[in-house]
Amino acid sequence: MAEPEFRSSVTTLAATPAGAPALTDESPLTKVSVRARVGASPLGVDFTRAARRDGVLICGIRPDEWLLLGGEGEVEALLAAAEFDASVNRIDITHSRLCLRLTGVRSASALEKVCSLDFGDMMFPDGATGSASVAKVSSDLVRDDIAGEPSYLLLADRSFGQYLYDAIHDATTEFADSL
Amino acid sequence: MLLVPCPHCGPRNSADMSYQGEASSRPDPSSATPAQWRDYLYMEHNPAGWLKENWYCSSGCRRFFSVERHTVTSEFREPPLPGSKTAEPGAGTDRQGGGS
Repeated sequence: MAEPEFRSSVTTLAATPAGAPALTDESPLTKVSVRARVGASPLGVDFTRAARRDGVLICGIRPDEWLLLGGEGEVEALLAAAEFDASVNRIDITHSRLCLRLTGVRSASALEKVCSLDFGDMMFPDGATGSASVAKVSSDLVRDDIAGEPSYLLLADRSFGQYLYDAIHDATTEFADSL
Repeated sequence: MLLVPCPHCGPRNSADMSYQGEASSRPDPSSATPAQWRDYLYMEHNPAGWLKENWYCSSGCRRFFSVERHTVTSEFREPPLPGSKTAEPGAGTDRQGGGS
């Protein structure tokens, strides 16, 4: 059976005001959840940390769970090369998760309007991960800076897609140049 | 707002947590009397002072943990370290067992 075509749950995108953090939908990224015993580190990345390897972003989102994000084929190649013991399991969750990226110098301030985490550089530096309620939706957050510019990935259940996109976009408009 | 000290995530808003009630020892099913089961299932001690409670970090690490809270001042004592054996049965385990 052919792989089903991916359809994002964010159907209506809004224009980014000049100067405001840019919100983009990266839901088509391949997402694989890897679970192991608490304390194990099958991919060499600790809980609350993220690292990029062979183009794949490996995120330690829970004490016993890692989320792999990458392009088509990249995640599969990394998993094929990894040697896991029998206690490790993996599930492709590409179609069940939403992935948004918020980029810009004021993106931390925008996120702090809808999330109780401290996104300051000391508490949430590049390569940090966290899980918390974002606009009342349980979400995973990963800081993945692009060329030195702060950038955050946000992952949640896909059914919240349009709502979360609209809520975060609304939080960013305050930081536009024209206001 | 309560700032609940999750052993994995650190201090978190209680809105990110789910309160699981008093932490009490489960009686032995093979020897417990109906009265002991009723007490275990339904009765709360509700002291005005330190109380050991179970919490579920529902928006964070998604794990159960036990912590002591003063019911008058809502002050928390330091939680047990992850993996320690001081938590009640069921604490520190995954509720869903799969998924994300």
